[in-house]
Formats: sequence, C-alpha cells, structure tokens
Amino acid sequence: MRLLFQKLLNGVAIGSVYALFALGYTVVFSILRVINFAHGAIFTVGAYITYALTGAAFGKNGQLRNASLPLELNFWLALALGALGAGVLGVLVERLAFKPLRERGSDPLLTLVSSLGVAIATVNILQYLFGAENYSFGETLGSMRASVTLVGGELPVVIRTKQIVIFAVSMVMVVGLTLLINRTRTGKGLRAVAEDLTTARLLGIDTDRLIRLSFFISGVLGGIAGALIGLAGSFNHQFGVAIGLKGLAVIVLGGLGDIPGAVVGGLVIGVAEAFVPAEYNAYKDAVPFVVLLVVLLVRPSGLLGRAQVQKV
Amino acid sequence: MSSSRAQGGAAKTAGQPAADAGAGQRVTGHEVLIGIAVAETSNVALLGQEEVTGARIAERLLNEDDGVNGRRLRLLFQDTGGDEIGAINAFQNVINAGVLGIVGPTLSQQAFAADTRADAAGVPVLGPSNTAKGIPQIGKFVARVSAGVDVVAPLAVEQALKLNPAIKRVAVAYAQNDAFSSSETKIFQATVKKKGLDLALVQRFQTSDTDFTSQVTNIVGSRPQLVVVSGLAADGGNLVRQLRELGYKGLVIGGNGLNTTNVLPVCGRFCDGILIAQAYSPAVDNPINKRFVAAYSQQTGGGQPPQFTAQTFTGVQVFVEALRRLDKTSRLETMDLKTLRSELNNAVLAGTYETPLGTIAFDPEGEIKQEKFYVAQIKMDRGGKDGRFVLIN
Repeated sequence: MRLLFQKLLNGVAIGSVYALFALGYTVVFSILRVINFAHGAIFTVGAYITYALTGAAFGKNGQLRNASLPLELNFWLALALGALGAGVLGVLVERLAFKPLRERGSDPLLTLVSSLGVAIATVNILQYLFGAENYSFGETLGSMRASVTLVGGELPVVIRTKQIVIFAVSMVMVVGLTLLINRTRTGKGLRAVAEDLTTARLLGIDTDRLIRLSFFISGVLGGIAGALIGLAGSFNHQFGVAIGLKGLAVIVLGGLGDIPGAVVGGLVIGVAEAFVPAEYNAYKDAVPFVVLLVVLLVRPSGLLGRAQVQKV
Repeated sequence: MSSSRAQGGAAKTAGQPAADAGAGQRVTGHEVLIGIAVAETSNVALLGQEEVTGARIAERLLNEDDGVNGRRLRLLFQDTGGDEIGAINAFQNVINAGVLGIVGPTLSQQAFAADTRADAAGVPVLGPSNTAKGIPQIGKFVARVSAGVDVVAPLAVEQALKLNPAIKRVAVAYAQNDAFSSSETKIFQATVKKKGLDLALVQRFQTSDTDFTSQVTNIVGSRPQLVVVSGLAADGGNLVRQLRELGYKGLVIGGNGLNTTNVLPVCGRFCDGILIAQAYSPAVDNPINKRFVAAYSQQTGGGQPPQFTAQTFTGVQVFVEALRRLDKTSRLETMDLKTLRSELNNAVLAGTYETPLGTIAFDPEGEIKQEKFYVAQIKMDRGGKDGRFVLIN
C-alpha cells in the first residue's frame, strides 16, 4: 500500500512538470488552433535568463566563456524577470514565425514548420553562446528541507520539496489563467478571437494585439516552467526538446486548448509512467503515447475537450 | 588556428565504399592531417566539446614542438552528432579528405558502427572515450586511449570498502540506453558479487531522464550502504542529487561518465563525497601533463581539465609521436596514403608514450596499457557551487 502511494505521489510529481510545460502550448493553441513548436525553446530560454539573473557564471565551452552578469538577484525575482524575458521571446516568435504567414493567408500548418525552425535555431544559438554544459540553480529554497516525509517508518513515503513547489505553481497558474480568460475583458477578447478571428476583427477587436498577448502569456508560462523544472534538476540547451513531445501528448490527451485538460493530461501521463516497472524503464517514453492512443479511441476530443462543431 | 572542417554533405558520403579512399594520395611535405570526429552537437555535445578542447590544445602545443618533424599538424574536425549514422558519416568525410588517422568517436555505441568503416578503409582510429568491452577487437586499425571499464571500475568499489568496511548491501543504477553505462554496470555488479556483497537492487534509467523519484524511492527502500551509478553527467548527477534529497546517507560511487567537473553544477553540494575511479587525474606528475593542465587553464579561463579532454589530447599526441618516429625511419612523403596509414597504425601500436595519462603503450589488439589509475572523491566547497576531485588512493 505504501509502495502504491509512493508511486502515485511520484506520478503526480512528474505529471505536474508535464502539466506546467503544457499550459503554454495550450494558451496559443486555444487562440490560433496551431501548435507553437518553439515553446520548448522558449521554456529553455526562460531557464537560461533566470540562471543568468541570479549572477551565476556560464561554462567554458561556449563563446560566452565563464560569462556572468554583474548582478545577483534572488531566485524568485530572477524567475519573474526571466518569465518576462521569455514572454518577450514568445512575442518575437509570433512576429517571426506566425504573423508573416498569417498575413499572407498561408495554411496554418506551415507555422508548424516555421516555429520548428525557430526552435532549432534557438537551441543551436544557446549551445553556441553558452556551450552544452549542464546548469542548476543550487540551493534556492532557503532553510526549507530538501524533502518532506508524508508517512514515516521503516519504508517512508517521501516527496521532494521542489516537486511540491512545482505542483503548487501549476495549480496557481491554472486558476490564474482560468480567471484571466473567464472573468476579464481581455479574456473575453481572447475567447472571441479563439471563436472566430475574422468576426472578432470585424467587431473592432484588435486581434493582432490579442494574438501577441497570447504568445506573451504562453512565453511567460514557458519561462516560469523552464526555470522551475530546471530548479528541480538541471538544464542545458536541449532541455526543452525532450519534454516537448510529451507536452504535445499531454495537451492532446487533456483536450486540445483546454486549460484544466492540460493539467489532467499531465497528471494522467505522469502517473502512468510512474507505474512502469523499473525493468521496463527503457519503454517508459512510449507510455504517454499508448495512453493517448487508448483515450483517443474512446474520446477523440481528449479527456476534457469538447467535440468541435463543424461550421458550414 | 589552423584546424578546419571537412567539406561535403554528410548524406553525400554516407555508405560509399571506403576501402580504396585516398589510396594514391601522398603527404605533400607541409602539413599532416588528422581527423577529429566527435559529438559536437546532440545530447552528448558536452562530451564532444570537452574532446574538441583537448584536440585544440594538442594541436597548439604539438605545433609549438615542431609539429611532425617540421610539418604542421592540422586537425580536421567533423561533428558526429550523438548517433551511429552521424558517426559513420563523419568518419567517411574525414577519410575521404585524406586524414592519416582519426581520433573519435565520442560514444562506444558510435564506435561499434563507425570504426568498422575506418578499419575497412585501413585508417587508424584512436578512441578517446570508448570504454565499452570489445572496442579494440573491432579491427586491426582500431585502438583506444581510454582504458576499459573492467580495469577502472573495480578500483572504486575497493576504495568504498576501505572507507566503510561495514558495507554489505549495494544498489546499482545505470542508464540502459547508453552502451558504455550498460557495459560498465556489468563490471560493477560482477565486482560487488565478487567482493561477497549483497546486490540488493538494480535500477534502470535513461540518459534523457530528469526525474528519478521512482528509482530513488526504490533504492532508498532497499536500504543500501553503497549506491553505484553508471550514467552521464546530467542524468547521473541528477540521480545523486535526488538520492540525497530523499534522504540517502551512504556512500555513492559514480561511474566514468560522472568523471567530469561538469557533474558539479548538476548535483551541487550533494556531489560531495562521490567516489569516482579515474583514468586521468590532473595531479599526474609529469612534464607533459603539467604543460597540458596549464594550457587548459589558460584556454578556458581556469579550472582542471576533464578526463575526456586529456584522453583526446593523448590521442592526437600518440598519432603525432608515432608519425615523428615513422618519419625518421622512412620519410612520410615516400609512401602513398594507404601505405602511410598502415605504417602509422603499426607505429602507434609499437610505441610507448609519456602522456597526461602517464606512461601508456598498446597491446597488439590496440588496447591501452596504462600504468596507473586513480580513485578520487568529490569535495565541494562550502557554498556547494564549486568543487574538485581529490585523489584518495
């Protein structure tokens, strides 16, 4: 029973990481109905900016050898600024990879390729500038203990404090995003753009501004996710690549464009992975896609997604 | 900087027959070309970048020492990426460009694929970081300057038992998608059993993993007094960090993949105390190592060279010294490229070399014969941001 509880806990911990990552994907998809493949790169840049703002030095293998900023911000302040930086990068990605194609009326599928191009370029620029070294944030939780024991005894059930922080931040973000979209004027505008871009524009809504805003929000979410997930382990230039595919599985599983769905999808996949026996660990990465396949067979719109009504 | 990159698309040369590549070309008398084919990109780029640094330092220092009897040493760099196909393409490109020998590839699993091409083409290869079993046996043109794990790994277990003779239960974790780690863990597990210890648990992970909560809770639950981790710097370092965060207090042995200062930022203060068997120590007391360490420090702005940097330096040094000796008995310009490559291979295997690794030679199969190995323990500074490898044997 303890083992079961521990595995469940492990699954929720890793699942909240996936959910945190997938939230940024979801925001852009819910507005434009396209996947921003550069989200993994933005997520990585968020971790790098936050790291730089804490005053830590980069490694020896990049062009900016041993470089560091002449300031040493507290991690949480650096995280906030890093998230803003990632948000700005999100807007830049929209300008470079999405807007030109949208203005020419290109097939939205083309933006998959253009955003993938931005992602690959960003990863390579990071390696060129900062090398392929691994970076971590060190001790940022102050006097907090590294882990919390939920059930004591000879075989205790424990969880890392950083995982609790990630889980809590994921929940706060879901609530915040839901409130923003459902309870504010900006949210109403975003929903109108998501409903029908052309009609929203005809009604006088500044759709370009709202699209930029959605990329900014997505970037901020990605930046926070990158820094927090980097906090739980370490990160390098390829940080966002590995988690990117799982993030896709998460949003499809939860229901494309559905914010609570991203969290549910993340947790389901995390728990499913945690229950893979250790001797089959090599096949663990296949689990999200098997779960996805099974769910889509039963519910093609995902766990919390609503079936799309075809307009004629 | 005289080093350069091989021309030509990788796809163009992939799969071309290699046996007669460059058979009619000769050394022109001005420069000698050696290929460096390592993983400069991909998820193992960190290892490749360490190797590139070692090669560049070797190129500079050896040219300062008159190159190959007056001829300039020029290194031809080609990125292998992190997979087998990339390694085959990179090898083919440098072979076609007319290199005399190749230092590379980075990973053992790449070596099993790419070294066969070089062997078929009669181009000598020195593996700078290929430590899995069976590498020198790939072919007569394949040798390595990286000692096999079967030699290095048991030393760390012996040292752990010296530090804590009460060790009875051992847990092992390894990266099962990495050929080297899979090979190394077998040696560790055999050593544990040979020492009469109880191998309580074996856990597997992947080099791409960042969360090890499942493995760590299983390990902690098996109550070991020693945990042995075979992986690379990022995954291995994260596993150790999470192991400590979830309360494990016993000794930890890190495999050769963790033998790099790049593991220090990953596990931070939790790196403290990790035991690591090393094929290279910056503390090796000979003139070439002192010069190498100083050059590394100058080139990178401080710090100690990692093992793969030293081994790649050694690979280039071995080729150059073998060429110098060969040139004295028979001038390089008198041989066609095919003959020269073959003679170079013989010269490499016949020599004894004073290198940053200490004194080394090769057995007839190309396996390195290294005089001394080391066990170090990581000592982190008070802030947990930086640390060093302290020799303890």
